[in-house]
Amino acid sequence: MDLSLTIGGPQGGGIDTSSNMINRAFAEAGYNVFAVREYHSNIKGRHSYNHIRVKEERPRSLRYPVDILVALDADTLYEHMDDVVAGSKVIYDKSFESGDLSQARLIMRDTAKSIKGRLQSENLPLNVIGAIQHMKNNGAITIAVPFDAVVNSAISGGTPTRYFNTLGSAITLSIAGLPVNFTSEAIKQVFASKPKVVEDNVKVVEAAYKYCEENKLSGTTLKSFPKKQRLLLTGNDAAAIGKVMGGLRFQTYYPITPASDESTVLEEHETLSLIENEKNSLEKAGVVVIQTEDEISAITMAMGAALTGTRSATATSGPGFSLMAEGISFAGMDEVPVVITLYQRGGPSTGLPTRNGQSDLLFALNTGHGEFPRIVLSSGDIEECAYDAMKALNYAQRYQLPVIHLIDKNLATTSDLIPEIDKSRVKIIPALSVSEKEDFLRYNLNTENGISKVGYFGKNIFWMTGDEHDELGHVTEDPEVRDRQMRKRFQKLETAAHEIPLEDRVQVFGEKDADLTFVTWGSQKGPILDVIDDLKKEGIKANMLYLKMFEPFPSEFVKSFLSRAKLVVDVESNLLAQASRVIRLETGIEIENAILKYSGRHMTEDEILSVAKKIINKKEKFVVEVLKNGA
Amino acid sequence: MAHNFKSDVVVDWCPGCGDFGILTSITQALTEMNLGGEDVVAVSGIGCSGKTPHYLNIAGVHTLHGRAIPFATGVKLANPNLKVILPSGDGDLLSIGAGHFVAEGRRNTGLTIVLFDNAVYGLTKGQAAPTMALGEKTKSLARENIFGKVNPIALALSSGYSFVARGFSFDMKQLKGLIKMALNHKGSAVIDVLQPCPTYNDVNTMDWYRERVYRLEDEPSWDPVVTKDNADSAAMKFQQAYQKALEWGEKIPTGLFYQNKTIPSFTERLSQFVPNYLTNPPATQVVFNKDHYTVVDPEKTFSDKIID
Ligand SMILES: Cc1ncc(C[n+]2csc(CCOP(=O)(O)OP(=O)(O)O)c2C)c(N)n1
Ligand code: SF4
Repeated sequence: MDLSLTIGGPQGGGIDTSSNMINRAFAEAGYNVFAVREYHSNIKGRHSYNHIRVKEERPRSLRYPVDILVALDADTLYEHMDDVVAGSKVIYDKSFESGDLSQARLIMRDTAKSIKGRLQSENLPLNVIGAIQHMKNNGAITIAVPFDAVVNSAISGGTPTRYFNTLGSAITLSIAGLPVNFTSEAIKQVFASKPKVVEDNVKVVEAAYKYCEENKLSGTTLKSFPKKQRLLLTGNDAAAIGKVMGGLRFQTYYPITPASDESTVLEEHETLSLIENEKNSLEKAGVVVIQTEDEISAITMAMGAALTGTRSATATSGPGFSLMAEGISFAGMDEVPVVITLYQRGGPSTGLPTRNGQSDLLFALNTGHGEFPRIVLSSGDIEECAYDAMKALNYAQRYQLPVIHLIDKNLATTSDLIPEIDKSRVKIIPALSVSEKEDFLRYNLNTENGISKVGYFGKNIFWMTGDEHDELGHVTEDPEVRDRQMRKRFQKLETAAHEIPLEDRVQVFGEKDADLTFVTWGSQKGPILDVIDDLKKEGIKANMLYLKMFEPFPSEFVKSFLSRAKLVVDVESNLLAQASRVIRLETGIEIENAILKYSGRHMTEDEILSVAKKIINKKEKFVVEVLKNGA
Repeated sequence: MAHNFKSDVVVDWCPGCGDFGILTSITQALTEMNLGGEDVVAVSGIGCSGKTPHYLNIAGVHTLHGRAIPFATGVKLANPNLKVILPSGDGDLLSIGAGHFVAEGRRNTGLTIVLFDNAVYGLTKGQAAPTMALGEKTKSLARENIFGKVNPIALALSSGYSFVARGFSFDMKQLKGLIKMALNHKGSAVIDVLQPCPTYNDVNTMDWYRERVYRLEDEPSWDPVVTKDNADSAAMKFQQAYQKALEWGEKIPTGLFYQNKTIPSFTERLSQFVPNYLTNPPATQVVFNKDHYTVVDPEKTFSDKIID
């Protein structure tokens, strides 16, 4: 099975809950799900949707067209009328049929204009009927359900609209062929703490299934599989869990999308349960999470905590990261271990606040004044978010510098079912520290690898200053000391480049001797892996150079790999092809083909595949293609 | 032997600078409190005043301009057992760092802020600082100051600081006492220290202040402290402090304006949510076992994320 479905409705109308229901219902039946959330920067009313892909094996990306489209409002029908094709099923409330496009006031003006154009070009009326006709013309099966009546058949009194998201999800699951017990079980999990709500919603589920049966809508019964214990996580969740497992005990943040959820998850789990046999040696532990007055405070407060020996971090996205620049420079100068999880979204400025972006790579590499060492790493799927968060804390401690962990919005808000996180995969590496009350030189220049020992506030006396400093940490402007301190700081990067395993910095997936090589980073990893499989089925050999660490950059490997590659295409979610620029700077190799997307939406398997084939078949040189899919 | 709180770094302030008196008051206060060198941390911003941590033989960070407060808050919240003192300037704390100054009042973390108030930006050569009066013309200004003045005492009171005082850098006896009280206070403290800058501020000089300052504690009826026993008089004591804050000109009050011992500190507030926070704060928590793996049970801690 490979099922794609979209459930859309007004922001604040329970779309998240319905996605959660669908994800859990399939998970209960032993399937894998991959669910992506798209929404406007708006609290109530504007169009939001979840795009879900369900498979037996793990889905790694989205694809269009969708098999089932569920519209919880009329806007959804307009916004997604081109996402369906022959055989796709479209479910909507019968009452929407009276809607006119001019009444759909929450559709963005430009979007409405484009919808109008498309309907006009087919001589269709500018209303819901027109949109439905458009989908029918393309072969979709449209199903009008009297939402009110079905809900009323299950529960009397109350507000029927409150159950529309459950109803829509249940109809979807029934059409997909999932037995009702899995759906009811999902309801129990979603509303775990509210028995009355569970009771009512289960009634609605049963009514939905009954309606589908009576109207011959139910799908062929799906097989179910034994489910393993697995985690249903977003990238925000995964990073939070990884941080805790990596020893994080202090996190600061100033609210910003899509980063804040990570801190909220940490706050919700601030009381840590310790492993049974570790308890006797320990008292109960907890993470301190502080909402600060701004991002300047967030970074500097985390740094202050770090100086006591606490593993500390902060999380933000572009605008907040801009404010952190000065603090990051201090961390570089004063060798303060701090992790900044940078959730990229569409910029510049406040840009596309709730949409994806990968346009902060060059900024992350260059943030802050002066020259100082930093580590910049990036994650490409939900599991990586967790393990990389653990590693990021280790790098900060081991090399005593700021670590910037890049996660894009696609990963932040995508839900993925992943195996449990393996505690033994990442060891916790402590900093090289002196003993309590020991006199020491914090910025000792006599090191082999650039790493001087650290002491901690509360345990040792030492000094720090953002000015250039001597070995004790006092201000100096002596030219020789300046030179030696500068070189010592940068030596740590060379040490890191030697010590960090290559597979944590760059990976290759796919065929060895490929006709086409993709170069990418971040959330495109999943879709491209799928595309490589697709191409293989068509007899085309493809592989992927997947970049994970941009500083220290694995220049030698990338250079030798790319100089042997036949046809290279860079794939990223920005306009400047930023990773290409880094590669050019670090290796001198110019990548001429690019598949780019900066609409803020996910790259889907199908759209990358079609451009990849174009590049191969036409053998065009210098293809730069901008992708547009997504509502 | 008592710890020597003076470091051996050469102090490079101008001769006659009021900062010397503040430095001496701090070292004397720490010595008299019988603290160890590891018990206190100094956190400063940037400016002449910001160099103070180097002159103290305790752990210290000379941070970024305006950022002493969030840095210090991080130190204190990660290890609430530490005493954290912030020697920093009026430009630093009340201009570029004004947002943090207000936020810290709301938090009441337990910091001791020693505000070096010379009404000028010393280290950048005498520009008007936020505490300089409108229309003032010092020798370092090309024309008279066209900004209005912030009242640090009134601002500290309004922001929620639970210990608000004013010292004078040439009255080291009083200042030392205020610093000791502030370091023993559980919430956050602000001590606005009138600090003559002979190099750039030729208006608010040592003599100018000497003629005007008087000690609040010399007034027999002065009682600025709110305790559990008299908690209902808090509003009255706050108003009285505010009135004194507005007194500036012929007479300038120094001493303790207001102290409220009933407001829970931020560390106390946190301890309601984070188990054993005060006894086992982040800085002392063990995060890995002998094999270097996490001591946290992720399945139990994040059980709500598990499908089973
Ligand atoms: C972000 C930033 N902006 C400007 C400066 C330049 N600067 C250095 S010291 C200073 C003024 C310090 O004045 P104040 O806090 O009153 O301390 P004082 O020197 O008077 O003790 C300024 C603006 C800086 N270091 N950092
Ligand atoms: S400039 Fe003023 S504040 Fe700075 S050291 Fe000289 S006298 Fe002191």
